[in-house]
Amino acid sequence: MAKIDLSNISHSYNPNDPNPVYALNPFSMTWENGNRYAILGPSGCGKTTMLNIVSGLVRPSAGRILFDNKDVTDLKTEDRNIAQVFQFPVIYNTMTVYENLAFPLKCRDFSKSKTDERVNSVAETLNLKSFLNSPARKLTADQKQLISLGRGLVREDVAAVLMDEPLTVIDPDLKFRLRRNLKEINEQYKTTLVYVTHDQNEAMTFADNIIVMSEGEVVQTGSPKELFERPNTTFVGYFIGSPAMNLFESEASSNDSVKINNTLIKTHTNLSNLKTKKIKLGIRSEFIKIAQNQNENLVDVNVEKVEDLGNYKLITAKLGDFTIKSKVTRDTEIPNSKVKLHIPADRCCVYEDNKLI
Amino acid sequence: MNKLYIFLKYFFIVVWTVFVVAPFLWALTTSFKDFQSVNGGVTYIPWVDFEPNLEGWKVLVKSPAKGGVDIIEPYFNSLFVTCTASLISIILGTLSAYALSRYTFKAGFVKNNDITFFFISQRIMPPIVLSIPFFLFLSSINLLDSLTGLIVVYIVLLMPIAVWIMVDFFNKVPREIDETALIDGCNPYQAFLKVVLPNSIPGLIVAGMFCIIFGWIDFFFAFILTFTEVQLLPVKIVALNSSVTPWWSLSASALVSVAPLIIVAFIVERYLSKGNLSGAIK
Repeated sequence: MAKIDLSNISHSYNPNDPNPVYALNPFSMTWENGNRYAILGPSGCGKTTMLNIVSGLVRPSAGRILFDNKDVTDLKTEDRNIAQVFQFPVIYNTMTVYENLAFPLKCRDFSKSKTDERVNSVAETLNLKSFLNSPARKLTADQKQLISLGRGLVREDVAAVLMDEPLTVIDPDLKFRLRRNLKEINEQYKTTLVYVTHDQNEAMTFADNIIVMSEGEVVQTGSPKELFERPNTTFVGYFIGSPAMNLFESEASSNDSVKINNTLIKTHTNLSNLKTKKIKLGIRSEFIKIAQNQNENLVDVNVEKVEDLGNYKLITAKLGDFTIKSKVTRDTEIPNSKVKLHIPADRCCVYEDNKLI
Repeated sequence: MNKLYIFLKYFFIVVWTVFVVAPFLWALTTSFKDFQSVNGGVTYIPWVDFEPNLEGWKVLVKSPAKGGVDIIEPYFNSLFVTCTASLISIILGTLSAYALSRYTFKAGFVKNNDITFFFISQRIMPPIVLSIPFFLFLSSINLLDSLTGLIVVYIVLLMPIAVWIMVDFFNKVPREIDETALIDGCNPYQAFLKVVLPNSIPGLIVAGMFCIIFGWIDFFFAFILTFTEVQLLPVKIVALNSSVTPWWSLSASALVSVAPLIIVAFIVERYLSKGNLSGAIK
């Protein structure tokens, strides 16, 4: 259990090259003790590199890592007291399930009774109790992954448990239960959990803080709500949420309004300091509703299709050349192909150069 | 169709079995024959075709003073040299293979794969190329005609096999295993000894088997690097030959010499067929 500080970390796999390619661009971040973090981003954006830097498998090209204000940058993996679970189950084939779970404790000279107690409690949580004495290699892939997970959880005093898409091989039902289990473990033991994933739902349901990455860059850190309502960049708006955020390329026409297809849309953003007039207006489909009795920020659209997705309806409509998507409740009547939509001013995000103003 | 297939299958199995077993049976019967029964036409069945006797076997254990050839000493020499050289080769080979598989080496244009190939290339070279260098080398350090000298030479011959097999094997053992062991609190040595090595037992067995076979059957170096002090089994067997070829004792010694390999083959086969080669991550 520790507070983890990453300060000015950057990493390149070819640092001696005249033009090194950075897998991770410089960033700083603090992971508070006992919180749940998710690192979210598309494949190849540097998520795994970041984890490996924290666990010490990779030494960063620059920057320092602090555990509880103690510099561990040059400390070896085995001395960092960290747990890491990989995407695919890694088990010690030649040992039984019990020996597998006890291995991290054995390496650190825990007493036999303490080991027994911890292994049994972890096996209980992960439903592995009945397998404790069977050879680990005889288990199924998802049970093996549970063992990997168990080895990460068996030490109570770990600085953090790092998980690199640990639930990929596990079937959906068990996945759901395990995510809840992890949450419980986090609440019970106050272990810092860091969870890498490219699945936004997994990140949103699991973590109280999400770190969004793209191409080696940390683009935004925040709670699921913040990421959803005020994405820092158009990438986050696009990557998080389903459907992706509506984005309209347009121009600022006054200090607080934007012109889209000859309609003025008021925003709560001060647009007087723009470098160029080119901006993007972003708004979540969830916030766009069919106009009731509002008298501003209304757009006339041509409905193209309406999809009933069970618990909501998704309207896809044309606004001039733009496509606009709106999520409405199931019982909303959509009158005909011409509809007035209301875009709430307080929900509008304005982006200049793909960055939130 | 199906019946034909089964018939053909068993037919070829029988043919192959006869092909493999017949020489052994032939050697076995010949070892119980005397001069008369070997040279007096084709004979197969003991007590019917010929009268079996134990002369061919007795000669092998009689001391030379009593007219025997005594292969017991060369036999144990061979066992000792083969086992020691194999063991050392496996230990050194496994360590080098692990390093070659896990760490990156670079000396100019030479990289890991080049080093691995260098090891293998030692076996591609015809052994005769090495005969004179080895001879001069051993004579310069006074190890000609000694067991130690032979062990040194055999390590040179066997280690490439061990490296070759083990590099391949370690490359198939996922790196995550090592990394997990480090995260679980092992230092790199413990990770190797406690986690990677136990996972590699099938590879070690295969490598060991090849080392033992190639060490045991070597005649060439045993022949040119020893004279009178020590003798290895293959050399001794060839030396049995004289103006009148003693087919009976040659057959008996051939059977004795092949016995350890058959035993090794049985043990290894049993071990490998247990499916221990399956990977640790899936």
